[in-house]
Amino acid sequence: MRMVYLQGESFLHKLNPLSKFLVNMALFTFMLFTSDPWTPLVFIVLTVLVLLILGKIPLMRLAKILAPLALIAVLFLLMYPLAVRQSLVDHTPLLWQWGPLRVYQGGISYAISTALRILALLTLSLPFSLTTDSADFIRALVQQWRLPYRVGYSVLAAFGFVPLLQSEVSVISAAHRVRGVHAAAGWRGAYERLRRYAVPLLTGAIRQAERTALTMDGRAFGALPARTYFRRMQFFPADWLFITGSLVASLLLVLVLQYFGLLGDLSLLKIL
Amino acid sequence: MIDVSALTIKYTGRKRPILRDLSLQVPQGQTLLILGASGSGKSSLALTFNGLIPHSIGEVLGGQVRVAGADTQQTSVAQLAQRVGILFQDPDAQFATLTVEDEIVFGLENLCLDPAQMEARLETALSQVGMLHARHRPVYALSGGEKQRIALAALLAMQPEVLVFDEPTANLDSVGTQQVFALLAQLKARGQHTLILIEHKLDELMHLVDRVLVLDSEGQIFADGAPREIFDRYAAELQEMGVWTPQVCMLAQELRLAGHVLPSFPVTIGEAVKVLAPLLAAHPAQSASSAPPTNASPRSSVYSIRDLSFHYGDIPALHNVSMEISQGDFLAIVGPNGAGKSTLARHLIGLLDPPAGTVFLSERDIHALEPRRLAEQVAYVFQNPEHQFVTERVEDEVAYGLRVAGLDEALVAEQSRQLLDTFGLARYARANPFTLSHGEKRRLSVAAMLAVGQQTLILDEPTFGQDERNAAALMALLRALNAQGKTIIMITHDMRLVAEAADKVAVILEGRLEFFGQPAALFAQEDLLARAHLNLPPLARLAALMATQYPHMQGWSTLQDYQTLTQMVRV
Repeated sequence: MRMVYLQGESFLHKLNPLSKFLVNMALFTFMLFTSDPWTPLVFIVLTVLVLLILGKIPLMRLAKILAPLALIAVLFLLMYPLAVRQSLVDHTPLLWQWGPLRVYQGGISYAISTALRILALLTLSLPFSLTTDSADFIRALVQQWRLPYRVGYSVLAAFGFVPLLQSEVSVISAAHRVRGVHAAAGWRGAYERLRRYAVPLLTGAIRQAERTALTMDGRAFGALPARTYFRRMQFFPADWLFITGSLVASLLLVLVLQYFGLLGDLSLLKIL
Repeated sequence: MIDVSALTIKYTGRKRPILRDLSLQVPQGQTLLILGASGSGKSSLALTFNGLIPHSIGEVLGGQVRVAGADTQQTSVAQLAQRVGILFQDPDAQFATLTVEDEIVFGLENLCLDPAQMEARLETALSQVGMLHARHRPVYALSGGEKQRIALAALLAMQPEVLVFDEPTANLDSVGTQQVFALLAQLKARGQHTLILIEHKLDELMHLVDRVLVLDSEGQIFADGAPREIFDRYAAELQEMGVWTPQVCMLAQELRLAGHVLPSFPVTIGEAVKVLAPLLAAHPAQSASSAPPTNASPRSSVYSIRDLSFHYGDIPALHNVSMEISQGDFLAIVGPNGAGKSTLARHLIGLLDPPAGTVFLSERDIHALEPRRLAEQVAYVFQNPEHQFVTERVEDEVAYGLRVAGLDEALVAEQSRQLLDTFGLARYARANPFTLSHGEKRRLSVAAMLAVGQQTLILDEPTFGQDERNAAALMALLRALNAQGKTIIMITHDMRLVAEAADKVAVILEGRLEFFGQPAALFAQEDLLARAHLNLPPLARLAALMATQYPHMQGWSTLQDYQTLTQMVRV
């Protein structure tokens, strides 16, 4: 989406959105099955290299994007040893105890691999999300994967509303502040604010949507069963190269990890 | 080109038809101006031309509309889209896609045009609106005027024979308005289109109009004919209906009432010059009877702004702005969008916190003032009244400020009842604010803000998107408040309001205060007006055109200014 998309002219930017999406989904699914810390770590490094070299994302930009993701992983790392089911890890050495809270070595290693896996899942999505214009993605979905064009273009029009709604929210918040509205802190305040914002936001959005629908109808949108496309989306050799290259390289990496005995069990539901 | 016969339409869920038994023929190449009070069905009539009524909304109860011979009810929207294009009011709500290029080809793709043909149409359409350079820009980064130009290009690409302009400048600043009107003039000059205009900035486009159609509140035709004939014959009725008339026509009526015999009735500023010249020649310059009122007693300071600068991140928004606003002033703040008007206003109400020593309210530094004390003295009315509503009943809305101020319930009830009476809202006391009409919402937002008797009122574009009748009512209200001694500060694009209501005007351009003084003095500064893309109000333009020959007209801008002229005969 627009919020994360970084405009550019790199190899990744020029790929068909669907080829990036396919690779993303394949690796994402595989990553869900891993349980060791090494595989995610290797794929995080690989993805970062792809972003820097093939995506030409500036290092500092990337660091700023990765920082909050890493923070999420760290939070997991801290919480997990306490939250993990004791019966799974109580055969491993006890490292620390405070009242009923016990931290086992097994809990720590579970935490490390889980945190890395979460970070890997998030990082894997970046080559797609940082280098793909949402409009191109929808265009490709409609043209190549037969998403009904009425659905696709409705989503596209809705994207156009996002910046409008954002500015709308900030204006409403200022307007309410001027009236001396002071929301209570915490959940109650958040709920009250939501309730007060909802009506003006919705009335505005519905009015806007009606008007947009009229202008689209007025330009023959949906009048004919099919439509043509000025920009034809298709797979180029570079896309096939990217898809096969990424998958073959990933497979090789996994085999190497396996060879060194670093690839743990593969299972979706790990600790049942 | 367009042939409407005995048309009656209504919207689903409404009892009354919006148009009744309406018949109209528009020949090819004509430029038709449709006038009518809000709710008279102007826009609905336009929607029947390209078949959106009844294909998308509304229903036809009787009669038919033919465009180039084709019955719109029997013809597909796809075909009609190539005959009639409508440019709507809201520049933000006209885009189906995210970039300029996508937007222009959007309609062509819907028509299943061969992509090979699109490139040529795309380039032609963009160059017709002078936006070829913006081809790859995202839509959201365009200004309001640019958005309207792109929306128009998207219509032109479909090569319609009829173009409808439905209040295309109502939400634009003066820069955008100038751009749209310039395009209109070009289209008219090219002569390939039948043009249907719905607008209320009439003086700017009367020279383009061939014919005027006036709808009444019942959705029927009140008058139909050449502009001169309509404004000459029905001036009084039109004003009573809340239909706007060109200001030069109002001036001509005044002159007539005063007993002048006019060789012809003017509808454009150019014609008005010709009509006025002999009058002025026959009655040599008299010294202006009304000397500008001198403010003998020094009034107390409301706002004192000293060297205020502000940046949004790295983007500078205000540079060393200084000004003095005194009690009882009616100050208009003008300038293009993004020049810093709202940023300045936000500093006055504490939405942006001014640095110490820069903004003083009644001699006290705002920086050190509690937000609540500030709110007791200054009220701020936002552009869209809906944004300010915080309760679910009109009476609670008014009472809200009183309750925040800590008044006891009995007093709250009494004062809010009084306020509702004053603002003509008493019968809606229990209604939800969102169910009120446009004009009522605006009144309520002002009433609610003034609840605790604030002496200063700041308004952001109070007449934006309002129809003429509501705008006039609001201005009357503001003038009454001003007469009671309240200080009014108003951000606006409407130079006519500046001429008629304000006694001071501030021009903000690229974050700098470029002018602060009386409106008449601003109207004399052609350079500055051009730089700030400000249009002279129509009567000021007329005076400016004649002032080279009749210097005493310098600075005239309202009907009152022309009083010396209208009274000459009586004297």
